[in-house]
Amino acid sequence: MTEPHDAAVDAPEVATGAPGTARPAAPDRYPETGARDETGDLHGVAREVLTKGDVGVVIGWEEGRRGVRPAFVTAADDVERLVFDTRCVHNLVTYLNPRRAQIAALGRAAVVVKGCDAKAAAGLLREAQLRRDQVVLIGVRCGGVLEVADLDEPAALTPETVSPRCFRCDNREPHLVDYLVGEPQEEPPRPPQTVDERVAALDELPAAERWEFWTEQFSRCVRCYACRQVCPLCVCERCVADKSVPQWIDSASHPRGNLSWNLTRALHLAGRCVECGECERACPSGLPLTLLNRKLAQTVRHRFGYVAGDDPEVPAPVGDYRLDDTEEFIR
Amino acid sequence: MSAARQTAAAAPVFLAEGELEALVAELAAAGAEVIGATGAAPASPAAAAAGNERGGPSLDYRVLPPGVAPRLLAGMPRLSLKGFFLPQAEALFGWRQHGADVEIERGAAATRPRVALGVKPCDAAALEIVDQVMNWDYADEPWNERRAATTVFTLACAVEDSSCFCAAVGLAPDATRGADGLLTRVTGGWLVETTTEKGAAVVAAHAERFAAAPPALVDEGAESRRAARERVAANLEIDAGSVRDWIAAHFDDPLLAALGVRCHGCGACASVCPTCHCFDIVDETEGVGRGTRRRQWDTCQTGKFTLHASGHNPRDDQHARFRQRVNHKFSIYPLRFGEVLCTGCGRCSRECHAGQDLVEILAAIDVAARRPETAAVGAADGGEA
Repeated sequence: MTEPHDAAVDAPEVATGAPGTARPAAPDRYPETGARDETGDLHGVAREVLTKGDVGVVIGWEEGRRGVRPAFVTAADDVERLVFDTRCVHNLVTYLNPRRAQIAALGRAAVVVKGCDAKAAAGLLREAQLRRDQVVLIGVRCGGVLEVADLDEPAALTPETVSPRCFRCDNREPHLVDYLVGEPQEEPPRPPQTVDERVAALDELPAAERWEFWTEQFSRCVRCYACRQVCPLCVCERCVADKSVPQWIDSASHPRGNLSWNLTRALHLAGRCVECGECERACPSGLPLTLLNRKLAQTVRHRFGYVAGDDPEVPAPVGDYRLDDTEEFIR
Repeated sequence: MSAARQTAAAAPVFLAEGELEALVAELAAAGAEVIGATGAAPASPAAAAAGNERGGPSLDYRVLPPGVAPRLLAGMPRLSLKGFFLPQAEALFGWRQHGADVEIERGAAATRPRVALGVKPCDAAALEIVDQVMNWDYADEPWNERRAATTVFTLACAVEDSSCFCAAVGLAPDATRGADGLLTRVTGGWLVETTTEKGAAVVAAHAERFAAAPPALVDEGAESRRAARERVAANLEIDAGSVRDWIAAHFDDPLLAALGVRCHGCGACASVCPTCHCFDIVDETEGVGRGTRRRQWDTCQTGKFTLHASGHNPRDDQHARFRQRVNHKFSIYPLRFGEVLCTGCGRCSRECHAGQDLVEILAAIDVAARRPETAAVGAADGGEA
């Protein structure tokens, strides 16, 4: 239980890419997608890519009737709809899932990405779910977002309202982009309790109490699979939860089925999850999935020295193979 | 069904604030399960340590533990009341194989009598709407047993927000469909009107808790209900008949594809919906020769819902699944049963992670249905045939 899972809570939340040590941009890595445009604004870039015919759709955010929501802009005249502010919580890379036929029908997409979203795009590239020339990435400099999108106005971030995952984000200016827009952003406020602190509080409990905690949380799962559907990296052609010959995971929302599903989901994302928080936000029952995701991210960092970033050339523990692997069975 | 024993609304009686707890205690003492909207159970010490106080619906319909009164002023419970009639997952029966013989173990005994207090009128109305399909080609025994065992008192709704649209689907914030009685909040307590014999029986059995309703309070209740009806009517106005016919004639209309584009297919809308009632039946084996047949909520929003054994999927993208949800609620069900499969509770719009919004969707279809050239395009497509 006291396995030294990762440095103290006061250390940077992730081991690499601490603020101020951002890697230089890699403008030449994907020359086929064009140069970065550091000066462009969101509307200007969107208008440009649509006018040039580079893309059929720009996926960004717009004002809806209940706050901000994903937008699909297909005409250059329409780019004024696009907004970016603290309500833009959604990870729009989810729409790049190759199985999303209704999105693919709109043509090649440009997607507006925050730093965490760019990590998800890197994940899709790393796992060959996407080719770099199939997408234009418009990065936005991000100073953190709220936990909720359905506000009439953008709200300033406070310790209480900021999404806790934004604390010590290592990717405020995404690298894996074709364009980068917006002004440099301040660090967001520290939440009253960081995600690492919450994980540490659970880790300190006796195993029986931790078990009780998760049993109680999972008991509320309604098995809608919203967590899976909004996850940018849940891209399996057929989810193991949907397989019935054999039925690997009981589909009923009873304790056994709920435990199987939630642990399977979390483990399949270990070392792949970019901690965008979509699963927890989409959960109609409010399960604290962020805690599970962070715990696994800590373990992956501790065991493999790997932190999910937005460089698709850095191999992830899942999907990488080394002749000098320490585990004999895999060599 | 309760509709069969509907009586004219009885003159209201008055339940003073101080009597609510005693009424709940009496109902429980008489053997009933009392259901009401309450806040989340207090967080366990572990949950508190993990800072998970926000983890969990703040308000839900629950069987009230002894001594807990429902929060009759609180807002919209996260999930509708349907789970008390069609549970998320339930065991239908168990089986054991003995050689060539199969022994069936029936599920639990009949439901205890239940009284639900302070239910949203949109949630109660949903029960009566879904009664139709539950008794269409097959009488669904567990559903009907639970319906018969439950007395539902709604609470006239003050209207939650701009996503409420019960008036647009023929209901009202003080509708009594599916309810046995209606409570109306007034100064110092609630007016109580019963609309069925079942509701009247509950009031009669606990007559000491109720008083004659002072005329001033009756007027106050009428005024607040009128004001709520006016508020919700302003949220959305559609011609449900035109919407029904337009959808039926425009299966492939690009408008439907455009309206569904951001849907992730997460099915949260169906989980929180009071009228979505689709279920899946699965056999769970427990070792060799024994197992349990269960049924559980299912939703047309997932690809698996229509996946054929061959691998073919007639609804092979999310657009087709989104369209099915709108089509079923506002065209297929009305054509078969004469009413929409929606009570305007607005939960789907509030819950949707991607900002899919039924208020906007219905308004857009209503506009299309009223536009003459749209009909002409449909006719040219052969869609109006």
